[in-house]
Amino acid sequence: MQEKGIKNKTYHLRSSMAFNVIGAIVLLMILFGLISCLIGAVSFTNSLKKEYSTTTYHMADTAALLVNGDHLDDYLAGKENAEYEITKGRLDVFCETIHVSLVYVIQVDQSDYGRFVSIFNSVDNTVDDSSYTPWELGHKRDTTNDEYRRKYKELYEQKAEYETVYRIKTTDGQHPHITTMVPVKNSAGDVVAILCMQRPIRELRNARKPYMIVIAVSTVLLAVIGSLLAGAFLRKQFVNPVQRISNEATRFSQENTKGEELGNLSRIKEISNLAKSIDTMENDMTSYVENLTSVTAEKERIGTELGLARSIQENSLQSVFPAFPDRTDFDIYALMDPAREVGGDFYHFRLIDDDHLALIIGDVSGKGIPAALVMMVTNILTSDRMRMGKTPAETLTFVNKDICERNRASMFVTEWVGVLELSTGKLIASNAGHEYPVLQRADGTFELIKDKHGLVIGGLEDTVYTEYELQMTPGTKLFVYTDGVPEATDAEDKMFGTDRMLDALNAHPEASPEQVLKNMQQAVNDFVKDAEQFDDLTMLCVEYKGK
Amino acid sequence: MTINKELDGTTLTVAVAGRLDTNTAPELEEELMNSLSDVKVLVLDFEGLEYISSAGLRILLSAHKIMSKQDGMKVRNVNQAIQDILDITGFTDILTIE
Repeated sequence: MQEKGIKNKTYHLRSSMAFNVIGAIVLLMILFGLISCLIGAVSFTNSLKKEYSTTTYHMADTAALLVNGDHLDDYLAGKENAEYEITKGRLDVFCETIHVSLVYVIQVDQSDYGRFVSIFNSVDNTVDDSSYTPWELGHKRDTTNDEYRRKYKELYEQKAEYETVYRIKTTDGQHPHITTMVPVKNSAGDVVAILCMQRPIRELRNARKPYMIVIAVSTVLLAVIGSLLAGAFLRKQFVNPVQRISNEATRFSQENTKGEELGNLSRIKEISNLAKSIDTMENDMTSYVENLTSVTAEKERIGTELGLARSIQENSLQSVFPAFPDRTDFDIYALMDPAREVGGDFYHFRLIDDDHLALIIGDVSGKGIPAALVMMVTNILTSDRMRMGKTPAETLTFVNKDICERNRASMFVTEWVGVLELSTGKLIASNAGHEYPVLQRADGTFELIKDKHGLVIGGLEDTVYTEYELQMTPGTKLFVYTDGVPEATDAEDKMFGTDRMLDALNAHPEASPEQVLKNMQQAVNDFVKDAEQFDDLTMLCVEYKGK
Repeated sequence: MTINKELDGTTLTVAVAGRLDTNTAPELEEELMNSLSDVKVLVLDFEGLEYISSAGLRILLSAHKIMSKQDGMKVRNVNQAIQDILDITGFTDILTIE
């Protein structure tokens, strides 16, 4: 199907381009031929007519010499009969000798040239296969038409040496002929009559026909040869190169693979440039597609790896709740919501022994993969140290030293670490540059504990952290979080802040740890609305219930 | 962010204004690192500073480490917002704030 489609299109292109141009050339040639035919015919006719009438004029002028202009009126009056007969005989002989149809002498009425009287009239019907009857002496006639009348007048007034009337396209069945008129003068030099000589002009038509045929045939031949040459030239110079370019472009659009280079396939600059552009385009497109493919593959690979990294990170944080279903003396809930696939926030909790619950929350500066790597290391270092039974301050001091030693990229980690003694509610904690913890007082009010802060982890290697003690009464909760909560920002760049955070907590003092975190998440979302989540959001809440 | 440096003998005063965050921190870092070689005392004037991120804190720490080998570093004109950040991150403990 596809193949056929290309072929059809190709054929269409070839026929239309060549056909249009060659057709135009043929039309032009024919038009040119017609015009030259016409011009040729007209000039041929004109020169022939001129030649004809000049010759006829000389013949007529010779004939006029035979007529004695002084005795015309005498002839009409019936006098000088002998001279009339001699002259008539001479004119008859003349008419026969020089092969003209008619030679006649008429006297025209000079008042309006509308009538004339015939004096001499010689006829030779053999010349042009005609059937004229000679007019008698004194035969009166009206002038044939205005053209004759005008020309008679010209001659009588001596404004012309001779006049000619052409009858080339005759309507009355006569053959084409010319009538040349010359004046007949008396001895005083006045025009007294007109001698007319009618001569067939068959030759004009006979000569013109072959001339026209030659012109027509040569025009057609020229058109055919010209079209063939133009066609061949066009095909070689335009159609074939354009065809190849078109085929290559079609092939490329369907296959999208680099084909044979078109190269320098035409001497015509525009076509050559087009071919080069197609070559360049193909090269660029294929390398672009290759590039895009490899970039896309790379992106997919990174995406897959990020997905894996995300699930590894999620699995490193406890996410099964309730975490301690058989414990009634406390309840705990935590969540981490990274701004990107992976985050730099972390939390951890574990029972060191039956009576001591370790709590860890931390935040690595920056976001994404670098933060996630540091987060994993710090979380593991810290939780391992806690499991070994070290105090929060000892743990942070150790972790800081360890991180500083490996921390070439000098990333910071803020970390809050606490140990809750479940039998007494005593909380020992240490803070390395982390957000203030929130503790619920016995009356149910949540308040910010402005605890003693040590420098962030990863700052100075020999920092020694100190710890402090808080007392939790049964039924109260401890809420720790990362800066994603107070620094959550809305579309107008306003921050959520610790005041709104405390308000959200105090709105539901009786809520379970899980509910506390869900409420806080909701409050932050309501505040931020459509703005993009900028930072990881991590919270941990523990409720101390006591025995 | 704008940075104004003023050298008085061996005391270099650098006034930082605007937001010192991930985007602007490299500029300050370059300015400081290029001019600390002959300086004995570095004074950071935070009068116009509106915000400082962890990237900014990292520069404070680097500068602190370098200047602790000389005659030290002072931070001056710290507003409440910046003070809160320095308090929380524990930088108040190590920096000399006037």
